[in-house]
Amino acid sequence: MEDVLNDVVSSEDLKKFESVYHEQLRASHVTQKAQFEYAWCLVRSKYSADIRKGILLLEDLYNNYDTEKRDCLYYLAIGNARIKEYSKALSYVRSFLQIEPANVQVQQLETLIKKKMEKEGLVGMAVAGGVIIGIASILGLGIAMAKKN
Amino acid sequence: MGVGKSCLLHQFTEKKFMADCPHTIGVEFGTRIIEVAGQKIKLQIWDTAGQERFRAVTRSYYRGAAGALMVYDITRRSTYNHLSSWLTDTRNLTNPSTVIFLIGNKSDLEGQRDVTYEEAKQFADEHGLMFVEASAKTGHNVEEAFLETAKKIFQSIQDGRLDLNAAESGVQHNPSQPGRTSLQGVSNEQQGGKDSCSC
Repeated sequence: MEDVLNDVVSSEDLKKFESVYHEQLRASHVTQKAQFEYAWCLVRSKYSADIRKGILLLEDLYNNYDTEKRDCLYYLAIGNARIKEYSKALSYVRSFLQIEPANVQVQQLETLIKKKMEKEGLVGMAVAGGVIIGIASILGLGIAMAKKN
Repeated sequence: MGVGKSCLLHQFTEKKFMADCPHTIGVEFGTRIIEVAGQKIKLQIWDTAGQERFRAVTRSYYRGAAGALMVYDITRRSTYNHLSSWLTDTRNLTNPSTVIFLIGNKSDLEGQRDVTYEEAKQFADEHGLMFVEASAKTGHNVEEAFLETAKKIFQSIQDGRLDLNAAESGVQHNPSQPGRTSLQGVSNEQQGGKDSCSC
């Protein structure tokens, strides 16, 4: 749990805030608070289906209420980064930084997302590199065998 | 304006003062490796948002904290008045061996002081808390507050008051880590929730 992208919600917490939200949903009166708290737990779930649901709830809050848009943007960026929707995640970070360019917390999130992308990009290259080495060694083997003959 | 929890953390991990310090959203994380009694210790610090709307969810970060730093602003009495409610939360959600440290931040603003040192010291003594006044701006006592908390946790482990095997101890021992020959114990500890009033 070393950074905001690896922080996973406990199942008790998820259940707790889920039941509050669902109770309010049944009573047809969902408060902004309950929706945000539930969404905040969902985007920290280890299951991507939960994260996607959290993103929908946050988008709904962002579009329908004027307050606390910065909270929504921040967790929309985290949620999207966690399901590897990096370009979306970065677009939320950028909209945030347009309003608060000096915000260190969000700058750090941007660095974290970019690092994660880089890491995964490098993994992709390593696989490609492996294939090239494979082909090269077959060629090498072929040449060596040809020389023997 | 907050009491300066994130600024204290930033000063401790980066040795820099964040002049423009907006309200933290949710929770932030910080780490720093320090040395206590010749042992390398990695501090994992959770910096929780002070605003009320985050409080329900940030409470879950108290669990499993080996230490807690509670911060108020010496220039705003209201932040000091809220301490008992934060302390109640901290006590209820952590275990009895969790070290609680009280920090009166913004000690550089002596002219605007609204809470005396003596008064806060008495509060700390009554509740069994460690206490310093510090300044995230100048760095005064910042290092000390974190290091003293870590030392106290380390001591609790050595004295056997903190059980390393308990899931909620907030401490992980990592004896297999190369270069960390440890006879006495810890290599790894988590230090949790810097909770406070931001008003």
